[in-house]
Amino acid sequence: MASKFGLAGGIPERRVRQIWEAIDSRQFKNALKLSSVLLSKYPNSPYALALKALILERMGKSDEALSICLNAKELLYKNESLLMDDLTLSTLQIVFQRLDHLDLATGCYEYASGKFPNNLELMMGLFNCYVREYSFVKQQQTAIKMYKLVGEERFLLWAVCSIQLQVFCGNGGEKLLLLAEGLLKKHVASHSLHEPEALIVYISILEQQAKYGDALEILSGKLGSLLMIEVDKLRIQGRLLAKSGDYAAGANIYQKILELCPDDWECFLHYLGCLLEDDSSWSNRVNGELVHLPNFVDCTVSHLTDEVLNCRLSNASAFVQKFQVDASNCFIRGPHLAILEIQRRRHLYGKKNYDEIMEALIQYFFKFGHLACFTSDVELFLQVLCPDQKMEFLEKLMKSTTHPLTTIPTKVLGLSITVFKIQQLIGNIDKLPVVEHEAFAAQMVEMYWKNLPLSKDLDPQESMHGEELLSMTCNVLVQLYWRTRHLGYIMDAIMVLEFGLAIRQYVWQYKILLVHLYSHLGALSLAYEWYKSLDVKNILMETVSHHILPHMLQSPLWVDLSNLLKDYLRFMDDHFRESADLTFLAYRHRNYSKVIEFVQFKERLQRSNQYLVARVEASILQLKQKTDNIEEEEGILESLNCGIHFVELSNEIRSKNLTFNEDFQSRPWWTPFPEKNYLLGPFEGISYCPKENMTEEREENVRRVIERKSLLPRMIYLTIQSASVSLKENAEVNGSVSEPKISSELKFLLERYAKLLGSSLTDAIEVVMGVSTGLKSSEAFGSDMVDWLNFAVFLNAWNLNSHELSQPGGDQCVHIWHNVDALLYKYISEKTRSMESLICTPRGHLPTLVQLVTEPLAWHGLVLQSCVRSSLPSGKKKKKGGPSEHSTSLLCNTIRDSIDSSRDIVEEVAKWITDQIKRPEDEVVEIILSYLRKTGQGEGPGQVFQLLESFTSSVVDEVELGSRIPQAVKLWSPVDVARKIVTGSSTVLSEFLRICELKIKSLRALKQQMAQV
Amino acid sequence: MTTIRRFCCNDLLRFASVNFDHLTETFNMSFYMTYLARWPDYFHVAEGPGNKIMGYIMGKVEGQGESWHGHVTAVTVATEYRRQQLAKKLMNLLEDISDQIDKAYFVDLFVRASNTPAIKMYEKLGYVIYRRVLRYYSGEEDGLDMRKALSRDVEKKSIIPLKRPVTPDELEYD
Repeated sequence: MASKFGLAGGIPERRVRQIWEAIDSRQFKNALKLSSVLLSKYPNSPYALALKALILERMGKSDEALSICLNAKELLYKNESLLMDDLTLSTLQIVFQRLDHLDLATGCYEYASGKFPNNLELMMGLFNCYVREYSFVKQQQTAIKMYKLVGEERFLLWAVCSIQLQVFCGNGGEKLLLLAEGLLKKHVASHSLHEPEALIVYISILEQQAKYGDALEILSGKLGSLLMIEVDKLRIQGRLLAKSGDYAAGANIYQKILELCPDDWECFLHYLGCLLEDDSSWSNRVNGELVHLPNFVDCTVSHLTDEVLNCRLSNASAFVQKFQVDASNCFIRGPHLAILEIQRRRHLYGKKNYDEIMEALIQYFFKFGHLACFTSDVELFLQVLCPDQKMEFLEKLMKSTTHPLTTIPTKVLGLSITVFKIQQLIGNIDKLPVVEHEAFAAQMVEMYWKNLPLSKDLDPQESMHGEELLSMTCNVLVQLYWRTRHLGYIMDAIMVLEFGLAIRQYVWQYKILLVHLYSHLGALSLAYEWYKSLDVKNILMETVSHHILPHMLQSPLWVDLSNLLKDYLRFMDDHFRESADLTFLAYRHRNYSKVIEFVQFKERLQRSNQYLVARVEASILQLKQKTDNIEEEEGILESLNCGIHFVELSNEIRSKNLTFNEDFQSRPWWTPFPEKNYLLGPFEGISYCPKENMTEEREENVRRVIERKSLLPRMIYLTIQSASVSLKENAEVNGSVSEPKISSELKFLLERYAKLLGSSLTDAIEVVMGVSTGLKSSEAFGSDMVDWLNFAVFLNAWNLNSHELSQPGGDQCVHIWHNVDALLYKYISEKTRSMESLICTPRGHLPTLVQLVTEPLAWHGLVLQSCVRSSLPSGKKKKKGGPSEHSTSLLCNTIRDSIDSSRDIVEEVAKWITDQIKRPEDEVVEIILSYLRKTGQGEGPGQVFQLLESFTSSVVDEVELGSRIPQAVKLWSPVDVARKIVTGSSTVLSEFLRICELKIKSLRALKQQMAQV
Repeated sequence: MTTIRRFCCNDLLRFASVNFDHLTETFNMSFYMTYLARWPDYFHVAEGPGNKIMGYIMGKVEGQGESWHGHVTAVTVATEYRRQQLAKKLMNLLEDISDQIDKAYFVDLFVRASNTPAIKMYEKLGYVIYRRVLRYYSGEEDGLDMRKALSRDVEKKSIIPLKRPVTPDELEYD
């Protein structure tokens, strides 16, 4: 607070203190009152005005605030005698920034700095303005001026950072780095450097120019002592040496680091890289675009002779073994895994050393097999083994657990879990008979239950021993579902997870699995409940929304979807707004490397594919929500600038370098990324579904989606216009029926839309007509059915106005209309008829049906509304000279038919939904539970569920399990779980029904209106 | 198997599996970035093979005179990597930086009074309960202010427990 006070604009501190206090405590009305008093005394004080503007802006009165600010700015410019103090300017700056007028704030500071050229405070304010505007060149110029004025190191570094930003994030060429280097060199010669971060920047400037030798010289000189953490210095040295090609010296440095930090895996890889003269471990790091790196260690085939290679790897082995001995009593995994990596490299370079690899793996298992991370640690090394060897390894592990090396129960459990995991990873479980596959799942649940006593004294917040067994069981059960298509296994899996959550409610791994299982079952509202319990907020919205967002986008849960999108977009936009201030904070605290990092991070988020998709989808959702009321729809369109910005986005998307920040690690095996769900396809064997890195394919797909969807708002706008013009009495005004601009723009967009569907406009029209009349198979639509139907609807609207496909007054116009009606009927009504009960057919056609009703059919509803509105008598005499009586009445009849047809379609959907909802809840609950009731001894789902039931019904010993676990077990109810599933899918259906009912109502009203025409 | 290095912005995109833990708060961006902009040496991440994030620590250094101290704002380890003393390694790192680079007198941290496992862990690491802060967490739950003296506090004055609890208003720092 204190810094806000002073003699700003000649006003004493005591007069403003109260106002600031009122603002800080959000008492804006009081603040406004006090500010009026102040203004009565100082009516022409820019500071007093700026304060008032600040209060008004906080009260939401943006226009008033802006006008007062502009007034203050004018006074500031006019009055020569007034002081240009930073307090006035910074107050104005805050308001201008909040009103999205950064340029005006910058203007004030530019003016002030021009007037008082040697005022450092004002220059810093100006620099800050340029930081906010990301004007790197002007930042640099201002920083240099400050540096020249006071000669301080920090201002030089501000300038250097601004230069780096021009190179990395702007249009500056790499030659600019030479300038930065020159500036630093000169300063170092005369003043040296005093901040460790300054040295890091200096080195990075040299490194970016590949001047590794110069950088090393500086680092080993006097300046090197600025880096107080020895390891940090060594790491830089090692990297520079390796990059310069001096691998021998690099290896020595990395040895030193490993002596200090024997567990440093990255350093060990660099050490190996140096020994084998392989620079892939550095070039991989340079590629900063990928934040989620694939789980493998990059290496290239060595150019070294076998003899040299063997010798060096033996040296590495000896070096690492030394640490193994030193670290034998602690938890350091590094040296042990390093041996494995050395063996793997030997193997990659052609040596048949399977025995050594196997031995190293077994040793690692003996040492760390009980750890939860064992399997992910060794995954990479197992890949080297052939299938038989993998099985041999597994057998060895299984044998070892029959006589475990330890008697500590938690460790014994850990070892058994690891064996299960390895079995899942390499054991070809799906090749076993189903009954054994099932038994595998049952064993894991039994093990979980048997080991619960180990956790009886743990705090409920702590993770329990053996918790992962239930996630693993779920994974096996879903495999069984994929293999047999028996829905009971999915129910089994759900019961297992719900059981686990009843015992401890905090296990996020179970929750994520449930989100996906419930989504798959169509109980999306239940999936969303579990998703919400994960408390996904702030930056996690960028990285883990993918668990739910794609499902929600295809659902009728519009309120939840709208909240999801709004929260996410607000988070991103807030960050874009505040990021520059945080960058300035890094400047002020002399953490220069963070300056670059912050700007690059903001850019990364701005280019996020998910952010762009969310922006488009949020607008489309708004449009979908208002399709039953054309006036409200037009209001939304107006707020979206009639879709123009989105067309621009669509135009630009090809040239944008999108980022993919989603973290897919936590996704279940059956859907490694949102576009893939193995369960929807035929069973291919478990080893068929690796968590592949599909970035390139996804990127192309996302671009296509954004490009296409971004066209929708504009096409909807033009569609309404086009339909309206087709019947309007504007014919009286200029005698022309069509409005050429609308028509040509819509045609242009139709051409683009068709192109995105892989066709020319002519071909696309032919496809649509062919499919609607049955001359072409609907396979022509491929997986883009919704988009093709959208295209057909927009095509019809365009044709109403352009008549390019027909002569005015001809029947072609209504012909297309009939075809569109037929298409909508074919795809919606027929799909509805083929729908079965949701619980019986997971993920069925519901998402597509929802999309068909809320997109093409809804847009077609807008065409109808627009036509009806235009054809209603407006009180004037009947039109003359417009479309002929014949064609008008033909069109009116077509409209009437189309209204009836659309209503019939929606009524049919509504009827199906009602039938679904109407089913007695107990009946559906019973169906779900019947999946789980095992009859006889043969294979089939329910075995795991019955185990759970037997656990819960057995007498629970409080001595053995403590008090909390038995209580939780008693409260667990499978019937409640089944009931939740039923409610979950009913909620989705009810929402869909609500949407349909509104459409029916709107279509009925339209029919009545048409009766007046 | 653990690389401990400075936390960077991109790590925010990779720490989901750590932050899914219900006791690990996901703060807003300006919170993380303020820590990165002001105290980058106090924000470290531990990375395992396959570049997986194992855990991280964030903290700061602040105070006047003999209250100049390191502060642990958050320390957390992913479920998969627990029971390997990783939290200890991260805490030791922050303590070393406070002690050797910033010459602080002590390191402190706040913990929910109900979070017994965490309290036990901090006690094992040499922290003592310095004072109780009434209704520190959202005006509901009490917090415990735990401290560990560093080498500069030769007489260990900084960790002599206060006899009475304090209210959040009485805290010197946020």
